[in-house]
Amino acid sequence: MSNATLPRNTTRQAEGMHYGNVARTLHRFSGAVIIVFVLVHVIMQAVRHVPMFAPVNASWLQTVQEQNWVHAILFFCIAFHTLYGLKLLVGELGFNIRYQAAFWGIVGVSALFALREMLRYAGI
Amino acid sequence: MPTDIKMRAEIRRYDPGVDTEPRYETFEVAGQDNWRILDVIRSIYERQAGDLAYQFACRVGRCGTCAVKVNGVPVLACQERCKPEMKIEPLTPFPVLRDLVVDRTEVEARYEQHAYAPQRATPYAGGPEPIDPLLAEDLCHKGSCLACMVCVSGCPAVEERAFDGPAFMLKLRHMADHPADSGNRLEQAIDAGMLECFGCDLCTQLCPADLSPAQAIREFRRDMIFGGSKKHE
Repeated sequence: MSNATLPRNTTRQAEGMHYGNVARTLHRFSGAVIIVFVLVHVIMQAVRHVPMFAPVNASWLQTVQEQNWVHAILFFCIAFHTLYGLKLLVGELGFNIRYQAAFWGIVGVSALFALREMLRYAGI
Repeated sequence: MPTDIKMRAEIRRYDPGVDTEPRYETFEVAGQDNWRILDVIRSIYERQAGDLAYQFACRVGRCGTCAVKVNGVPVLACQERCKPEMKIEPLTPFPVLRDLVVDRTEVEARYEQHAYAPQRATPYAGGPEPIDPLLAEDLCHKGSCLACMVCVSGCPAVEERAFDGPAFMLKLRHMADHPADSGNRLEQAIDAGMLECFGCDLCTQLCPADLSPAQAIREFRRDMIFGGSKKHE
């Protein structure tokens, strides 16, 4: 490509999806989901096993924790957060991973984890 | 074949000498679907708002002066295709001189401060200096940055943290890779907030010259981890 020519003769940047923004937001969201779930899980275990917390009525937390869609979201978040974190780490080492391919790859693999959870609950 | 369309453009108007705060003016424009944003702005200037301030020079995406935000996304106005509904604003986070024209004084000062020319350890001997053709091609590519500040405007790290922005990192990497340069560009990049980058590659996606400032930052980080900045040690 000559330097005198323009690589793009028209763009539609304002219309397309901005992978960086979506990935960064999902990374933060998935981190928050993991923290919340761990917190709920710790509270549940405390209510179940620590006599001091026995009077606390937290059965609704147990119900929430056992929903298949909650597990699907949780597994998606864990997978996405881990894989995107690894992608960033690999980038720190200087490797160039194409951002679109990395995004869809990571979302795809994470969705498989979520699907597996849904199917597990459905008994398939 | 281009077809006739009607467009609605909402433009942020602000004259710091007159207005107390920015306002948005809406314009109806009759044009064609192959128009660029710059065509829309020029049409508005010529037919509806003769006092609208905007800037452009080359109209073919080489000068980088016409960069604006369209529907919240920084783009080159001369390259971006028009839309039926659009909100046109000046580039952030730069101070506005008037309407769509931003003050680039700080940008120019930053370029000067970083000394974006090879800092030679020994005086130039004269005549051509041997260079690996692949490296020359890479340097040429990196040197084609338009300094349009689209990447800086879109960068979420610039918005949230003390980070000069991707364009400056790319230029520093350009110099770091230059065989005649002996400056410590890695240290300059760190001082300019290179470690604050999220690695989201938004700058790469938005760059109108198809450059990758994010990769330049990754290379700097690799050098930092492995001590790979060969010529400065």
